[in-house]
Amino acid sequence: MGKENPAEKALNLIRGRLCDPTFVFRPLSGPPDSNYSKLKFIVSTSITEGCNNSILLLGPRGSGKAAVLDLVVGDLMEEYPDSVTLIRLNGLLHSEDNCAFKEIARQLCMEHHLLFSKMASFDENSQFIIAMLRECGLAHKTIIFVLDEFDMFAQGKQRLLYSLLDAMQSVTSQAVVVGISSRLDADQLLEKRVRSRFSHRKILFLPPSREEIDSLLEHLLSLPADSSFPSGYVTQFNEKIKNITSDTRFKDMLKTFLNANSTVNSLLKFIFRAVSSMNLESGLLSLENFKTALSSMLRQPKLEAVRDCSILELYLLVCMRRLEVKEQSSYNFISVMKEYKTIHDSFQTSDFYAQNVCLRAFEHLREREVICYAENRGQSQAGEYRPMKLLISASELHQGMRSHACCPAILLKLLDH
Amino acid sequence: MTREESSKVTRRSTRFSSSVTSDNPEPNPSHPPTVADLTFGEESITLDSLLSSFPGRRSQILDLIRLIGPLDSPALPVILYGHASTGKTSVVLQVFTHLNRPFVYSSCRTCCTPRLLFESILNQLLLHSKCSSNGYASAKRCDKPSDFVNLLKEALSSVVETLNSTKLEKKLMGKMVYLIVDHVDLIKEWDKGAMILQFLFSLSSVLKMPQLGIILISGLPPDVYYSNMGYTDPLPVYFPEYSEEELRQIFLKNQVNKKLYSAFLDVALRPFCRVTRRVEELSTSLSSLFRQYCEPLDDLSISPNEDLKRRLYSNLRPHITSCLNEVFRVSGRPHDGDTRGERRQKASYSSEKGDELEILDFHMSTSAKYLLIAAFLASRNPATLDASMFDSTGGMDNRKRKRKASEKSMEKKEMAEQEAVMKGPGSFPLERLLAIFQCIASVGDSSLGEEEDEEGEEEATGYDKESNNMMSDILLQVSSLCDANFMIKSGSCPLEGSIRYRSMVSEDLSLKVARSLSFPLSKYLYRR
Repeated sequence: MGKENPAEKALNLIRGRLCDPTFVFRPLSGPPDSNYSKLKFIVSTSITEGCNNSILLLGPRGSGKAAVLDLVVGDLMEEYPDSVTLIRLNGLLHSEDNCAFKEIARQLCMEHHLLFSKMASFDENSQFIIAMLRECGLAHKTIIFVLDEFDMFAQGKQRLLYSLLDAMQSVTSQAVVVGISSRLDADQLLEKRVRSRFSHRKILFLPPSREEIDSLLEHLLSLPADSSFPSGYVTQFNEKIKNITSDTRFKDMLKTFLNANSTVNSLLKFIFRAVSSMNLESGLLSLENFKTALSSMLRQPKLEAVRDCSILELYLLVCMRRLEVKEQSSYNFISVMKEYKTIHDSFQTSDFYAQNVCLRAFEHLREREVICYAENRGQSQAGEYRPMKLLISASELHQGMRSHACCPAILLKLLDH
Repeated sequence: MTREESSKVTRRSTRFSSSVTSDNPEPNPSHPPTVADLTFGEESITLDSLLSSFPGRRSQILDLIRLIGPLDSPALPVILYGHASTGKTSVVLQVFTHLNRPFVYSSCRTCCTPRLLFESILNQLLLHSKCSSNGYASAKRCDKPSDFVNLLKEALSSVVETLNSTKLEKKLMGKMVYLIVDHVDLIKEWDKGAMILQFLFSLSSVLKMPQLGIILISGLPPDVYYSNMGYTDPLPVYFPEYSEEELRQIFLKNQVNKKLYSAFLDVALRPFCRVTRRVEELSTSLSSLFRQYCEPLDDLSISPNEDLKRRLYSNLRPHITSCLNEVFRVSGRPHDGDTRGERRQKASYSSEKGDELEILDFHMSTSAKYLLIAAFLASRNPATLDASMFDSTGGMDNRKRKRKASEKSMEKKEMAEQEAVMKGPGSFPLERLLAIFQCIASVGDSSLGEEEDEEGEEEATGYDKESNNMMSDILLQVSSLCDANFMIKSGSCPLEGSIRYRSMVSEDLSLKVARSLSFPLSKYLYRR
């Protein structure tokens, strides 16, 4: 294992960096007006002053809300080693009240080395939590509740949010509730009784600026100049990275990519893809890597689906499209077959198949979700008679057929009129 | 149940056919399960043989290997997507044979509920297998995602620990475990499927364990998973449908006489490719066609010259067209293919003459045939016209249809026709079916009398004699027609409360049935 190729080692290092959110967001947390500093200030004051607080972190998915929070919590745990307890809940897992209380009780028990009973009832758990809150408050320990996917907790009766926030109204408790949500209107979802107990502090996560992206790229891609790599390799590698990132073609690619999705996480995926296609022989990244990564990241699934269709399936799609153009309000397989037959009768195409073959092609289209049943009721009716609709737009169909490997010319003509 | 009790080796080689939950238990106490069982085993294939065993999948395989990365390198979740039979699952499993790394494979096809899926993953990670000694129970009971996350964390850390400690062994397995979830698209249909999907997609960020690589396999493109919750998309790897050239290579792969088969593919593959490009469907129709292609040959190992090819082709050509339109029969058609009491006649496959239409490829009793026609008529004709259709003169041949249609009425007619197509076959109560049945059976009787069809006559006269006795039999026939899916019960009428029926028979089939009875069906069919 010792004689590892430096290129492979570099690849592993960079991949490890990209998969580790705390590493990625460390440089973004430097400046005093960053979200990191704001969040850290709020949480640390409530630890030192022994008060209660609640904050919402809002921003699109993948903008690093949870990662920044992890950074803050990690740093605070180092600063105040004995007085911080972290409880993590996720709306995807614990949106049900009973389950959430159980999970809180479980994590509290783990943290304080108590025996956790799986059989405890909802009331017992909630009493236990309130008692623990009071105990921790008296011992000047802060409990940080992290509620990921906060909007999911706001469904239903919001009992968890209410009891947490209500318990924090007392002087004795000492807790911080941090909600993370990708819905910007997350606080509007709260019931009145919950909202009145909520502090309405919000921290918004914006996409990174150009300068931030540049520094982030350097931070992620450049190799450290320590002893683990041969020094010649490190300078060569870093030189190459600098070349690439200053190239205008690279900048254009980055711009195209960020236009589609500008969060940090999607950028990471793009870089990950490029880095993992690095040539291990030369051990250097190239512009080509980024180009292939871009093309494989920006996909158009509907076009691909049309391109995958067989000729017969294309015929059916064109028939459906023609029926739509004719402003026929709804159509089913039988009417599509009628249209198919009229096309065949008037143009004498070579592709005319029996109804059962067409029905199978129809089912294939439905499996691919290129078409679907227009309504869910009428299940008793056989599939042929249920109304259908196209799930792709006319332009997508057009474009897909144009780029299809062997689409007959007559079909394109039929599509137009 | 302790782990020692549940000692059984999971045969990795059976993974292709079955997921681990359905493995046949074969207790082998001499070999306690180890982490090494999470890999495919000793024989690792080279990259070259991997690439050559999947024609047309080169870029996908290389892409996947790169995304999985070298040993011990953390990876972001990956989603493989592409339509059915494009080689997604086998490529992934073969890639893991090549890499020889520990992985866990669960398919949502076999694990059809969240609980089964979670438990299957945990069982594999905990090296637990269901067998008679533990009552086929799972290692952990777990049906909620929240429990699953906790248990998965525990199981993973124990596996990773053992991987770390057994590193000194000769085999290099790395410290990573990969989780492969197949048929992710099926989860959409589950109860609360959207939540489970969201959970699976964000599993890596929930777990925060870089030692777990996640690979999802989906039949649908990632854009169908977009929800209003926002979507953390894994890295996509697309498996396109095979092109004609790639299909050719696939079909040529395991052939004994490659030259002969390639000559066959030259003529047969192209027309079939226009209909479907699925390997599974093509292979069924091509294999039967190839048998016919070889029929004139005595020696299957010859390499054909141009002249022989031409002759074989002219021999095959009629079969191709008939086979093209019959693909569906092989895979079974839901309405008139899969019926009970059907006896498929091989003749209908081989005969390509025009009168093939006349042959009904299943047998049913004459009264059942009449009943089928009656049901068809009841579904197609409006109930108000029954009286005029089935009056004593029989049939509507004296209808005045030559009235000149104005433009407006034509338009109206078109609209009505469209509506009828949209509505499909109508439903009818049992009484109407029986009334029509009586009418047409008596008509059939008289017309059959003229045409001297013995079978029909016997049946019909017998019916006349003991019509009350026949009634019970008829009800039995109705229920068996329902079972055979020729008719369906379509809910009860809210006002009357009686059950209504609906005929599911296509016009072609009912015409065939009528012809076999020499019953003038078109005379009774109301056409707008």
